[in-house]
Amino acid sequence: MEKVIYRIKRFDGTKEWYQEYEFPYEKGKTILWGLIKIKEEIDPSLCFTSACRSAICGSCGVRVNGNAVLACKTSLDKMLETYKTNKLILEPLNNFKVIRDLVVDWEQKFERMKEVKPWLIPSKNSDKTKGFKQSEKQFNMIANPTDCILCGCCISECGQLSINREGFLEPFIFSKSYRFTVESRDEAPGEHLEPALENGLWKCIRCMQCVTKCPKGVRPAEHINGLRKESMKMGHRDNKGARHAYAFHDDIQKTGRLNEMTLPIKTEGLVSTMGRIPFALRLLKKGKIKPFNMPKPVNGIEQVRTIYRLAQNQKEER
Amino acid sequence: MLNYDIVVVGGGGAGMRAALEASQNNDLQVAVISKTFPTRSHTGAAQGGINAALGFRDETDSVEKHFRDTVKGSDFLGDQDAIEFFASNMPECVLELEYFGVPFSRDEKGRIAQRPFGGASSPRTCYSADKTGHVILHTLYEQCLKNGVKFLNEWFLLELVVEDKKLQGLVAMDIRSGEIHPINARAVVIATGGFGRIYWSRTTNAFNMTGDGTAACFEAGIPIKDPEFVQFHPTGLAGTGVLLSEACRGEGGYLINKNGERFMSRYAPEKMELGPRDLVSRAIETEIKEGRGFGQGINAYIHLDLRHLGKKKILQRLPQVRQLAIEFEGVDPIEEPVPIRPSCHYMMGGIHVSDYRTSSTPIEGIHAAGECACVSVHGANRLGGNSLADVILFGKFAGIGARESARDRSFSSGARVQKAAEKWMKHFNTMREKTRGNDVIAIRNKMAETMWNNVGIFRTESEMAEALDTINQLLEDYKDCYIGVSDKKYNMAFINYVEIGNLLKLAKAVAMGAINRKESRGSHSRADYPKRDDQNFLRHTMITKEEDEYKLDYLPVKITKYQPEERRY
Ligand SMILES: Cc1cc2nc3c(=O)[nH]c(=O)nc-3n(C[C@H](O)[C@H](O)[C@H](O)COP(=O)(O)OP(=O)(O)OC[C@H]3O[C@@H](n4cnc5c(N)ncnc54)[C@H](O)[C@@H]3O)c2cc1C
Repeated sequence: MEKVIYRIKRFDGTKEWYQEYEFPYEKGKTILWGLIKIKEEIDPSLCFTSACRSAICGSCGVRVNGNAVLACKTSLDKMLETYKTNKLILEPLNNFKVIRDLVVDWEQKFERMKEVKPWLIPSKNSDKTKGFKQSEKQFNMIANPTDCILCGCCISECGQLSINREGFLEPFIFSKSYRFTVESRDEAPGEHLEPALENGLWKCIRCMQCVTKCPKGVRPAEHINGLRKESMKMGHRDNKGARHAYAFHDDIQKTGRLNEMTLPIKTEGLVSTMGRIPFALRLLKKGKIKPFNMPKPVNGIEQVRTIYRLAQNQKEER
Repeated sequence: MLNYDIVVVGGGGAGMRAALEASQNNDLQVAVISKTFPTRSHTGAAQGGINAALGFRDETDSVEKHFRDTVKGSDFLGDQDAIEFFASNMPECVLELEYFGVPFSRDEKGRIAQRPFGGASSPRTCYSADKTGHVILHTLYEQCLKNGVKFLNEWFLLELVVEDKKLQGLVAMDIRSGEIHPINARAVVIATGGFGRIYWSRTTNAFNMTGDGTAACFEAGIPIKDPEFVQFHPTGLAGTGVLLSEACRGEGGYLINKNGERFMSRYAPEKMELGPRDLVSRAIETEIKEGRGFGQGINAYIHLDLRHLGKKKILQRLPQVRQLAIEFEGVDPIEEPVPIRPSCHYMMGGIHVSDYRTSSTPIEGIHAAGECACVSVHGANRLGGNSLADVILFGKFAGIGARESARDRSFSSGARVQKAAEKWMKHFNTMREKTRGNDVIAIRNKMAETMWNNVGIFRTESEMAEALDTINQLLEDYKDCYIGVSDKKYNMAFINYVEIGNLLKLAKAVAMGAINRKESRGSHSRADYPKRDDQNFLRHTMITKEEDEYKLDYLPVKITKYQPEERRY
């Protein structure tokens, strides 16, 4: 390969356009290297952010061919090979307001982050001069979420956020909330958890993009899961999400399979479910649901129940 | 005009620690201006840890030992009163960090874990896996949000306005809007980090570590202390300067030149690759200078060969190193040798701090802390883990000092600040409109090349004189530059142009300090004066700028307890 082309989405504050830049290929380089080359040798007006160039400052998140990556740690060779091309499309992260070219606006994200009180509310059993005791196990609970570098890759690719920007928190904010909820040194876990609960905790669609796209191996979807469990433990059971989970739990225990007829009633209540009747009728007409088919216990239901018993007897690990 | 009681410039470890202290009673208006988002600051890159004699891992450790190790590490150029203050206050500072929520790794008793580090007589480096700086930086940011600290992100300090040795205010650009703002302030804390970028691609530092605050203080009449002391790390990746941990030599990696020789046999026949950092760095540079490296000029390198360790050992012991080599250099050390070269890592010198208890400078109202400042605790050589310590401790005391300044001082009329801002607006407009002139990037590259070749790892009079000439010429060329971008909003070309101007000013100070220090001490190693000379040089270099003139002076070192002796390990 002789030449590489970056097709970059540009924005000057008012208008948007795509611009192509061509430069000689070099082996063993990164996506960021190409951006710098363009800025220094072809077009100094191209804007992007980068600082540490070693994947810790979180500045250089961009989309390459529709996937969020950290430009500094993404191999150019690998990208060209994966897409079998010499032309890559670079765009700003999705689900952000764009400032210029590849530069996005973080201010609103940090504003929203404040909702979960992402700071330690120190437990009363220590003070500034003494330090805390924390077991290795307790430390391990918070190790993964504290790897987050605020690069925005999870925000860009989040399936729920793309359709619901207002009613759902950015995945990394759930990770922050989780971290302080399970932090052994924190006095008030509920203050970190409840804002998450009120802002879409049960709305995650588990597309797992936040996990697969995180350049640091942080697992926001798992933290969302963890928060759901914590919320039920704290007694937040009277909401759609928790009721939905309990409906699954109870049905499987009873028969080993899900009862799709009663599930919406259990989750949403009778009144809201009534509103879904036209939809149900359409499903019925197409033969997608069978209203009078009450599932009988599956063969081997005893084994299912044994699993439940074993799980219940397992002491919650902390 | 904007008015703040205290403006902290810099959102790294030192800046945010200062802001936290300054804002604690909610009685003062405090703002942090930072050219990047605070969590993007280079403090996040620190991996190893932060030193404090907590004595958790080793009960025999003590403040006294931390004090002594630091004095010795500094090659006796550190001020001992300040170092004692530093070592004594560190345990409390780290426990405070814990109280703020820093997720430190733990020992078996659930206390903060500590590890051994170079130059320390006890294992006292507190850490969080290999991301200590990252977690400290993020925790400080969280605490600042909790305290409601005002952040002006992507704002760039252009000038400190001073009259009769007193602070009046500052001028800063809001990068996004391109507006230039005069800001009135009673006190300022400068915490803008180091300036390793004088060597451009040959540094472990981030792209934006360009010493803007140091240069602004220099322009405002504050001396730069000991700029010639630059710490180099032997194993930076050749292409980018990204740091490869010392572990790659520790585990038995070979250093190989173009002729396939393990050249360390000539420099340290016994220890070979395991010689001390400065010696190994010098050996690599000698090989390259004498034509036994690969490639040319500033892009030359030698090989770090790990292949003989075998796949299993590399995967087990050096997974991080392998990952870095693959991601940032495109080389898998299991299969190929890794191109490496020493890289500038840390600046011991910086803004002259005249009172360490308040991190104050000779200009009333201006305080400085962190890598941009020189207290001096690190003297001629900084110990690993002592920089984060310096950042946190002196950041805190800068916050305390700034509170005092803000209480004692009143706002200026603002007239001078306004005038300075107008001058910058005019300059910005001129630069936007200009259609021809010298290329800023070419100037930067030439500066880096001459600094690396002539004021780098080892130094001689004639080479440094050549570098000084080149820098002087570049300073002339810089006056007629062309930036190539006419936009007002988010004009990074203009910002980069200002940064490179700052680097040039500081590079000149480094060269000047180095030429005049006719001895070898700590990181400053001269081929023509290979010995330490306490008779003449047990003193700090002080360089002051008056218009275009650089004046050189010296300041005695404070010695309270430990008389200089030969530094041996
Ligand atoms: C790879 C690496 C590893 C390291 N590991 C360790 C370690 O293990 N232990 C240790 O003790 N030390 C270590 N160090 C050194 C240490 O990390 C730094 O010295 C320290 O973090 C500097 O902190 P700071 O707060 O002074 O500056 P920084 O963290 O660099 O912050 C500077 C701030 O100033 C802002 N700024 C700069 N210029 C302007 C301007 N013109 N206008 C507005 N804002 C501006 C920046 O945006 C930034 O927010 C390491 C350094 C490197 C490079």
